[in-house]
Order: sequence, then structure tokens, then C-alpha cells
Amino acid sequence: MLQRISFISLALCLGVGIGGAAGQQRPITGKVTSGTTGEPIAGAAITVVGTPITALTNERGEFTLSAPEAALTLSIRAVSYKRREVAVPAGQTTVSASLDQDVFNLEAVVVTGVATGVEKRNASNAVATVASTDLGYAPTASLEQQLQGKVAGADIQQNSGAPGGGLQVRLRGVTSINATAEPLYVVDGVIVSDVAIASNQNAVTAASGGSNPSLDQDALVNRIADLNPNDIENIEVLRGASASAIYGQKAANGVLVITTKRGKAGAPKFDVLQRFGFFEMSNEFGSRTFADATEAIAAYAPAPKDSETAKLVNSICNLPGGACPTYNLEEQLASEKPLSYETALSISGGTDNTQYFASATAKDDGGIIANTGFKRQAVRLNLDQRLGSRVRATLNTNYTHTVAQRGLTNNDNTGTSFYVVLSATPSFVNLGKLPGDTFALNPFVPSNPVQTAALMKNDEDVWRFIGSLNAQWDAVQAGSHYLRFIATGGLDQFSQQNSLFFPPELQFEPNDGEPGTSLLTNSDNLNFNVNASAVHTYTPSSNAFSATTSIGLQHAHRELNVARITSRNLTAGQEIVSAGTNIQITEERSEIKDLGFFAQEEFLADQQRLLLTAGIRADQSSLNADATKLYYFPKASGAYRFRNPTSWIDELKVRGAYGESGNEPLYGQKFTGLRITGKVGGVAGTVAGDTTGAKDLRPERDREFEGGIDATLWGSRANLEFTVYQKNVSDLLLPRQLAPSGGVNFEIVNGGNLRTRGVEAALGLVPLQKSDLTWLFRTTFSLNRSLITELPLSSFIAGGFGASIGEFRIEQGASPTQMVGNDTLTTADIASGQYPGHAVGDIVVRKIGDANPDFRMSFTNDITYGRLSLHFLLDWQHGSDILNLTRLLYDFGQVTPDYANPIPGKTETVGEHRLAGFQVVSKNYVESATFLKLREVTLTYDLPATFMHSLWSGARYGRLSVSGRNLLTSSPYTGLDPEVSNFGNQAVARNIDVAPFPPSRSFWFSVELGF
Amino acid sequence: MKTLSKYSLAACLGFAVLAACKDLDVPNLNSPDLGDFQNNPTRSQVLSVATGLLLGTRTGIAPQNGYVSLLGIVGRESYNFDPADPRFVTEMLLGPLDGGSPAFGGNLWANPYRNIRSANLELAALEKVPLVNDAEKESMRGFTQTIQALDYLKIISTRDSNGAPIPTSIDPLAPPAPVASRDSVYAHIVRLLDSAAKHLDSATTLTGGAFAFPFALSPGFDGFTSTASFRKANRALMARVQAYKGSFGCAACWDSALTALSGSFIAPSGDLNLGVYYSYATLSGDEVNALFDPNARAILTHPSIVADAQLQAGGAKDDRVVRKVATLSAPKTAQGLSSQYQFVIYGSNIAPIPIIRNEELILLRAEANIGKGGVADLAAAVADLDTIRVRSGKLPLYSGAVTQAALLDELLYNRRYSLMFEGGHRWIDARRYGRLGTLPQDATTTATAKRFTKFPFPAFECDPRSPAPSGCGTQVGF
Repeated sequence: MLQRISFISLALCLGVGIGGAAGQQRPITGKVTSGTTGEPIAGAAITVVGTPITALTNERGEFTLSAPEAALTLSIRAVSYKRREVAVPAGQTTVSASLDQDVFNLEAVVVTGVATGVEKRNASNAVATVASTDLGYAPTASLEQQLQGKVAGADIQQNSGAPGGGLQVRLRGVTSINATAEPLYVVDGVIVSDVAIASNQNAVTAASGGSNPSLDQDALVNRIADLNPNDIENIEVLRGASASAIYGQKAANGVLVITTKRGKAGAPKFDVLQRFGFFEMSNEFGSRTFADATEAIAAYAPAPKDSETAKLVNSICNLPGGACPTYNLEEQLASEKPLSYETALSISGGTDNTQYFASATAKDDGGIIANTGFKRQAVRLNLDQRLGSRVRATLNTNYTHTVAQRGLTNNDNTGTSFYVVLSATPSFVNLGKLPGDTFALNPFVPSNPVQTAALMKNDEDVWRFIGSLNAQWDAVQAGSHYLRFIATGGLDQFSQQNSLFFPPELQFEPNDGEPGTSLLTNSDNLNFNVNASAVHTYTPSSNAFSATTSIGLQHAHRELNVARITSRNLTAGQEIVSAGTNIQITEERSEIKDLGFFAQEEFLADQQRLLLTAGIRADQSSLNADATKLYYFPKASGAYRFRNPTSWIDELKVRGAYGESGNEPLYGQKFTGLRITGKVGGVAGTVAGDTTGAKDLRPERDREFEGGIDATLWGSRANLEFTVYQKNVSDLLLPRQLAPSGGVNFEIVNGGNLRTRGVEAALGLVPLQKSDLTWLFRTTFSLNRSLITELPLSSFIAGGFGASIGEFRIEQGASPTQMVGNDTLTTADIASGQYPGHAVGDIVVRKIGDANPDFRMSFTNDITYGRLSLHFLLDWQHGSDILNLTRLLYDFGQVTPDYANPIPGKTETVGEHRLAGFQVVSKNYVESATFLKLREVTLTYDLPATFMHSLWSGARYGRLSVSGRNLLTSSPYTGLDPEVSNFGNQAVARNIDVAPFPPSRSFWFSVELGF
Repeated sequence: MKTLSKYSLAACLGFAVLAACKDLDVPNLNSPDLGDFQNNPTRSQVLSVATGLLLGTRTGIAPQNGYVSLLGIVGRESYNFDPADPRFVTEMLLGPLDGGSPAFGGNLWANPYRNIRSANLELAALEKVPLVNDAEKESMRGFTQTIQALDYLKIISTRDSNGAPIPTSIDPLAPPAPVASRDSVYAHIVRLLDSAAKHLDSATTLTGGAFAFPFALSPGFDGFTSTASFRKANRALMARVQAYKGSFGCAACWDSALTALSGSFIAPSGDLNLGVYYSYATLSGDEVNALFDPNARAILTHPSIVADAQLQAGGAKDDRVVRKVATLSAPKTAQGLSSQYQFVIYGSNIAPIPIIRNEELILLRAEANIGKGGVADLAAAVADLDTIRVRSGKLPLYSGAVTQAALLDELLYNRRYSLMFEGGHRWIDARRYGRLGTLPQDATTTATAKRFTKFPFPAFECDPRSPAPSGCGTQVGF
């Protein structure tokens, strides 16, 4: 170990020791303006080509630098403008240049390694970049929502409509079955936690009392929800192993590299954003209407049984003619529209040596159900300090408080979750508020969701600090050599408190004989990581090539302790957990230590047309059975740009990349334990654990090859990116199911192989570009297909509720996202010869659907007409199946909207027909998840500068906008929302719909001011 | 140049320090290591694991999808109208029973087997643990084997003629043990119980008298905490096993049952509830009795229990119905089924659930005597049946025919009402005596309820076996 370190240190040390010199100077001043509007561009970087001499423009677009006397070339760059090179003859001291807009972001720098990057036009990987200008069109609680539909190959879906997050980002399809499904999030060089901690609502819903003994069904929020989208400068999405290999064994699901906003030298700039808006329910499940008592009695009290229910129905359906009243129960539950707001302030500026960016945000999203919503307060301070000419230090600090109030949704086994109760309550029952602030009792299920929502509490409070300190030392800056040392230390610490309270007054609370439940979960998370790297660039004076060598190491330490208190039978209905007489305490701890080393070489030659990269990462981790063993993840890539290969192609780049990355085992998987947490009648005892880990447990390995072309066409009026990829994931972490008669349920082993192939395309067009009218059209397309090519175990269940209802089953030769279930063989099945030894009517388990979409597309339009601009984004998913168990529950309650619809020529109704197939034709509840959503619409009016100046001379800009999110959804799906996952973020088993939080749309009016 | 070297030296040092302080080993922070227990067991560990056997054998008894509740449904003692999970009706009444569904039968397999492994680990640890004397070891062997026999009995009661494996290895990665026939499993249970009794006796002998177990037992074993008194519980279980074997056609087993009973805690005039129980508590880490469902949210009594009850002299229903079943203000319905009755057997969420108690022992003695069938035997059976009829049911004395057939009917009636909703007795009894066909075929909105003879093996038990043994797949019932 030490030897290896010394080797790396030696290598670092060897790079040092080359001195430099400088020649005669002349001052050059100039101005940089926008080619389209003529307005000055602030913050543009001017570099004297072949030297380290650099200057930035001020807010009037002016710059000054001192350059050598000889003729030279200035390279002028600014964010979202195309780079321009200007020749400056000897003796000339003034320069003016106008820059064209870089609508396709080709000149943005994208990462190639932990400490290196290249311009996107050179990149040998397909790296998607989302800039701050593409964010914030319509505000969202969580960052991932801002990315929906903006990155080809990123399937980003919310798990339910609950406010405050809970979204899954799946890059390039399925990468794992049992390991983490989350991409790695790196914010300003710090790996931040995206852990999702259950609220423990299961103590009330007992959702895990059935087939699924985990807290996955608690409507979890993954903690990336804490990041404030307003603070983000850009996000780079490394979609696969070929790009993410440099992050090693944590990166198989891809990496999102997030950079926050920084200050620029200049006078202080204030930006103020104020939004007001509201949320409203965007889709209802609906409920059957009962014409009269006869219909209701036929459903709930068929003769001669149950005269009591008949009496009850008669007492309710007492309108003229025995007609039943009809109440919209969903409206009673979810029709809240409280005022929502967001206030964001930021100030940035600085001197040549010190720059700062500070921001503060307060956000309050009101939920559509009483006592639900999301709040965030966040402050950020980013500082850049130059210490002399060679050292730059940056400090990023971010403190956030979020509160998510999530209601009580998803599966349950106790008749408490909102939609589970609605599914068993006919629409003639009134659940609304009665005079005197009391609630009607639900005579059908002992639970009234309207009352539950009004009186309960399910708050998730998170206080989080993310900070990092980065130091760069340009040790050598001379002629052809350039050497920089970079050290980054980062800390991500949060405390999460889940506080849930169900007072004894709730109709369902006495059901367990212990009225009143209070739940308290305190979680502490600490992520600490340190990176150190050295980057050496060699550019010969001929400028023929440049070679960048980087080496470094990265250490990460993660700790998570979760302590839960469940308190029941609350004395005097007090919320405090000590008021209960039945108090349960559990604690779970985890600690993870990783150490990784990397080395990379990038070679840029032929006038920056050719980029070759090779690198390797070596990782060790406490999660592997052997914590000292190093696992190696290599990568290599190349790209070549052709300039003007034909008249209509400006530039064509061909690229190819190969890389490997990993996915770690989860904490605890390598252990076989004794459980000490049990008591029997008050006496403590120890029982044997029921899982074990393989002796050689190691990371999953993702080997990905990616190839593609990027083209700029028709004088930069169009840009096309096309990528194909194939990844082979081997050493999958598999639960080898042991025969339960051995007393241990499963062993975690590595094995098997999963292949995912896919295509991604992104096309940008500027169909119109006039002085007062521009239209930018962008579209993305992606599809992927996965296959289990090798499975050393027999097939196993990866999620769901068993074959009788439908489950995800991992089988060799099948898609990992296939759903299987019981099905009844038809005459045609027998005739097909596929079922020898079976007869018509036999029940077999077979494929009934697949959660993987056929393809996804998105369409973004930005139309600017004078001072008005319109942005709208359509997100389309085609194919993908959902197991709609909400509908099954509604069918059992006989309240599905179409339940009583007749089927021509049959005696049974539509609902009865579906139900008759329950357990024998489980595909009856499989539906298409195809959808087209209008994700974002924003209409913005830029107030004229003259008008702004007339208000106040210091004003820079003013904007008014109206926007909306998820305004329209078109889908054949009969459930609440085709974006759904009862089990939260899942590698495989998404798309199971059990009584989720209903979806909402939001409307906003915003004012933005800059001065 | 000089400063550079200084800087680089500092940087190099930084790297070295960073690397040197990294010890990547992280232990299991949540539980002790099993390897330690296997290789270097300590006294406190073996005592704790002994208590843990009571925890393990209790697992899966009380939950709504547990042993009592599911066997109650297939034996038409109870319904479960849980609005959140219609499978309590569709799967448990209509079928087919699904071997792949862990919650509906798979748990009745994995839980007892996990405890069987715990018992095997304990027996192995007892061979090498220091600071535990021989009498203590013998007492724990006797206890451990008795609980292991109880777990096997629960397994074979749900799988019956499918048989069950008898694992011999404690290596979880060993190939699964072959499936043994029903009779082999019963023979194994008998061996375990007899071996346990010998160990208990040996502990008693070694110390020259009844010997209190060195580990803590749950309150459900109050009165059974010494080697001698616990042996009575061991014999009680033996009596049940021998009576079951008798009903399968083993004529000699009736006498074995009577012998076992004489060593048990049978007391015809004693407290009918005397016995051993699964304990529940609301303490942290403990489990509550989920069969306590005060508002009948899910669990209801099958209406046939009330309809089939005999009447007391005054016209009231059998007192066992009066004591154990309450009438709701309004009936509950689900999927076309309906019931207006709920159980009040478990009066709180910490009410214990019987493992075996005096009332069953008296009935087992009657059963053994009916099985033997001699005149004196039948007379003895009538006496025991009358004890239960009068003491438990407040019914008049038995006045029917004193024949094997008539008394068997009477025995099964009394077992049904005495042991109601305590552990699937009605279903097991109906199967033992070929009377599953008498279980009512409730009509739901979609189909008619089926009678099941046994649960299939869980899919996971079948997957690693090739060819799949019979008992895999689904069970459609009749």
C-alpha cells in the first residue's frame, strides 16, 4: 500500500521543477460585444494564444491586458458564446470583437476526469451539459425535475406526486439489479449523499407486513432534493462507464457533475427573483357513481345476506326515487390550492483577486392535500481568492433547510393510506368536513382519509451543510509546461428528522387497540471526501499537440446512523414519543471507507482535431469482502473532428470510447450476523441472521463501449449528436436464494451478466434567426434494450407482490425489467405448441409486461420575438408497462369508474371481468405507461432597459414571466400518473402503482430584477 | 526552484499521510458476528441464543398472514377482510395457493426453518462453550431439541403429505437436504422429543433434583422453567404428535400418546388454560399479538362457528362461543363474503397465544382412547369429553351413542370449539380425519371457496432442486 502511494507521490514530484520566463510587454485594451444584440458581454475571457496571459471583461465589456510586443492572436471566449480568435498585429493596442451566440453549448467545457476537462466540441464521449439557462423555466422542488426531458438517455421519473422530491434518475437503462440504482452526484468536486431514508410510516401502514419486509414503500425522498436548483451553474451528465470510469467503483450508474454559480470580478450585481403560484391536482382516478340504492345494495349487500349494510345504504341513498348522492371523494381530499412562493436573492462580484457569489432562497410549495407541502430555505456563499499569481483557493458553503410534508400514501395493509381507503369507499359516502370541524365516519372502512390528512403530520425536516475547500497551485506556468496541483476537501453533513403523528382521534387509530401513534426518526449522515491531484500539460512551442497527464487519489468516508422510535397508545393524545405506552426503538448504523487512485493521459493534436484519452482508476473499499484489494477500472477514448467535410457540414466529429466502472456492494452485505434486537415477552434473546455474503464479494463491473458522431450543420444552424452504446455488466450482486430449509434465505454473490444496448440522439435546430425573431428547437431521442445474458442462479424475484398479482422476475435470456404473473392458457396458446403437457385453462407464470419504455423523446422550443420569449418542453415516453394495483384495489371495492360498465354479449361487467382474472390472468392489471407531458411552459417579457433605467438608474434588467409545470398529460393510463413507483427508487422494479400521492400541476407568476 | 521543491515535498508528505491513516476495515456495527459464536462461543451467547429460540419459534405465529390466521382461514375459522390485501380471500379461500408468494405460506416455512438452524447452531456451540457446566448444557440441549421439534411440527402441519427436508448441516451454503416423507418427519420429531426428554432427565440427575434453566424463559413458560417441569411440556407435545400419528393409522401410537400424557401436565380438574404460550409485549424490540383486532378491521369469525354451535341447557350457545366470539353492530363484507362476528379470544395486543395447554391434553386423552376403541377406552373418552363439555362449554353431559364414530364426531366438535383460532387445529383435524370436504364452500363474488389439503413448497425451496419434488408449484384445492 505505502509503496504504491510513494510511487504516486514520486510521480507527482517528478512533474515539478521546470521554471519559466517572460518577455517585453505592451498594453492592449478592447471591447467585446454580442453579435446579435450589440450589447457588451461581461465576463468574457481573453487569452493570448500560447501564453498564460488572460484577462476578463468588465460589465461594459471592456478589458485590458499586457501582452508581448510581437504579433499575436487573442482567443476570446464567453459562456454561451462561440469562441473567436482575433489576430493582433505588432503595435496594435486596441481590439474590438463581437461574439456569436453558442446556442448548442458546443464550447462549454466538459469533464474528462476528476480534475480535467475539454471543450465539448473536442470531447470523445457523449457528455450532456445542462446550463443554468436551461434550468428554472418552471420552478420545481427538486433538481432532477429540472432535468426531465433535457438529457437524451436520462430517464427521470418521479415516484409519486408527493411534494418535495423522490425521483429516480436512470441513465442508459438498467445497470444493476440489486446494487444502488442512483447515479453519483458530485457538487463542486465533492461527492454528496443521495441516500433515501424511510420515514417509518410503515409503522402505521404496515405496508411491509405483506410480501416485502423493507421500508421501501414509505414514499422516500432521495436527498439530492436538498440542492437548490437556483444555485446551479451547470450540470454535466456522464451517462455511462466510458465517461464515468474515472470515478471508479461508484460510477456505474453514471455521474452528475454539478457546478454551482461563482462570482466574477466587477461591481456587485444583485439578482432578485420572486415567484408566486399554486399547485392543483392534475388527474383524478375517478370513482363509480351509483344510480340508486338498488345498485348499491346489489354491490355491497347482495340478498339475503347482510341486512345491516342494506339498511345503511338505504339510509344514505334516500334522495327521491332511492337515488344515491355522489361525492367527489378525491376532491374532498386533494383540492387544496394554497399560495406558493419562492424568493431568491443573490449578489455576486469581486475584485481581480477576490470574487464572491452569495445567495439566499426561501421557497414554500403548498400541497394539494391538507398538511402537505415543501419548504426550502437555503443560503450559499462561494468565494474565490487568488493568492499571488499562482495559487487560487475557492470556498463553497451551502446551508439548506428543507421540510417535506408527505401525507400518507402508497401501499398499506391497515386501511390507512389515502387512496387505499378511497378504493374501498363508494362515492355515495360523504367523507367531508361536517359542521363544527368534525369529520364524517366512514362506514365502509374504519378510516376517513380527509380526516387523516387534516389531523395527521408527516414531516421530513432536513438541515444540511455542504462545503468544500479547493486549492489550485499552478506550480509551473512556463512556455510549454504547465503543472497544477489541486486539492479538494469536502464535507456533506445532514441531520434528517422524520416526525409523524397520528392522533387518537383518527377514525383508524383505535384499530390496533392502541390509539395514537407518534413516530420519530433521527438520521445523521456524514460524507467526507478528499481529492488530491496533479495535472501536467505539455504543449511544445510548435503547438502541434498538447498532452495532459493527471494523477491523483480520492478518499471518501460515509457514515449514516438512523435511530427510530415508534410510540403507540399516546397518553392524552400527546405527540411527544415519550407519551406512548408501547415504545419501540431501533437503530441502524453504517460506515463506509473508500480509497481510489487514478491516472489519466489526454492527448490533443492536429489543431485540436484529435483527442486521445486513456486512464485507469484503482479502488478499494470497506464494502468489498477484502477491503484491501484493489479493483481496476480502465478507460480509453478517441475523437477526430473533420472541418467542412462537405458544403453543408461545418464540422463532423467521430468519436469512440471504452470504459469500465463499478457498483459497490451495500453496507452489511458481506456480513453474516446474529441478531440481537429481539425480545420475547420482555426477555431478550439472540437469533441467527438470515443472509450471508460471499467470501469474495466485490463491486459489479460495467464495461461500456460507446461510439458516435457529432455534427454542426448549415453554418451552425443545426447540431446533431448521435451515440450508440453497449454495456455489459458482469459480477452483478445477486441474492443467491438458498433453500429456506437451510435456515438462511440468501447469500449475496457476484455473478451473471446484463447487457444493455441503446441509441441516443440529440438534434438542435435554429429554424428562424432574425434580428427580432429566433426559434431554437431541440429534440432528444433515446431507446435502450436490456437482456440478462447470463444468470448463474435460477430465476428470482426482483420486486413486486408475487406471481399471483405480478412481479419482476430476473431470468436468463429475458429483459431484466420484465414483469411476469399468473396467466391462463388459451386455446391459441396450446395450439402454438409452446406449452407441452398443458391443457387450456392451466395456469402458468409468464411474461405479462416490461417496465422499460420502447423509446423516449422530448421536444424543446424556445421562441424569442423581440422582448417576448416562449419556452415549452414536451416529454414523451412510448411503451413501458405499469402494474396498476390501485385499479385492482378499486375493483375489489367495486368503485372503479368503469366497474359497472356492461360488456356487450356478456353478463359480467367490465370490472367483474377484470376481477375474474385476478390471480389467474394477472395481465388484466398491466397497462401502458405511454405518456406525453407538457413539462414546462414559460412566457417571458423582458422589460426594456430604458424603462428599467427610468425606474432606477442602477437597474440592469427586469423580466416578467408566467410559467407552468406538468400542465397537460396525455396518456392512455387509467391510474393517477404513469410516473409511479410504489417501492421508490429501484434498479428494476419501478412501475408498480399502489395508491400513490396524486399528481399536480403548478402555475407561476415571476418577477426577476437585476441591478 | 528551491521553493518549488519545498512545496512538492509538502504535497508529497500530504499524500503519504493521507494514505497511511486509511485503515479501510469497518466491522459489522449492527450485530455480533456469527463466526465468533460458531468458533468461540461464550456463556452469555449460548444463554442468549437459548432465549432467542423462543423468539424464533414465535416469529410468524401472530401476524395477520401468520400461522394462526392463515390456517384459520383455510380451516374456515376466520376470515380476513383486510381492504388492502384481497389475497386473504382470493388466495387463501379461492386459491390456488401460490408457492411463489412469500407472504402467504412461504413465511410458514422460512420462519421455523430459521429457528431450526438457530437450534442446530446452539447445539453445536454447546459442545465447545466454556464456563457452562454439564447439567446446564444438558438442560439447554433438552430445551433446544424440544423447541426444534415444535418447529418441525409446525412445518409438517402446513405441508403434510408433501413432506419436508430435515437439514443436518449448519453450513447455509450446503446443498439442500432431500425432502423427507411426512412419516419420516414425524419420526424425526418423536426422536427429537425423546432425546430432549433424556437430556432434561440427565440434567435433573446431574444436579440431584429439578434444575432451573440457566437462561431466561419468556413469561409464557411460567411454571415450566425447570428441567422437570419443562419435561411435562415436552411430553405434552409428544402426546399431540403421537395422537396425530394415531390418526394417520399408527395403532400403537394411541398408547404412546397416553404414556406421554401421563408424563405431561394434564389435569382434568385443573385450570384448562394451564400450559405454555407464545408471549407478546409492547416493550421495545418485542412483538405484539396482531390477532388482537378490536374493531374487526380485518379479522372476522367465520359465521359457521356460531351457526354450528351446540346449545346450553338454557338455550344459550355453547359457552365457548359466548366467551370467544362477539357480535358486531353491523356485518362486515368483502368480495361477497360477510360476517357479523369477531373473535375476542385475545383480549389485548399482549395476550399470549397457546403453544399447548391443558384443555387440549384432556381432548388428546379422549382422542387416544377413542382411537383404541375398547369399551373401557370409550367410557374414559366420554368422561374426558364431558369434562370439556361441562367445564368449557357449559353444555349438558354427552348423551349420544358411545361408538368410535359418534365419539370421534363429538371429539372433533369439542376440539373445534375448545382450540378455536389457536393454531389451525380445525384444519389440521379435518385433514387428519379426512373431513376437509365438510368445510363450507363460501361463495364470493367471483368463485366458490376451495378446500386445501396442504400448502405447496415455497418456490425458493424448489428452485435449487432438480427435478422439482412433488409439492412444488401451486395447490388448487377442491
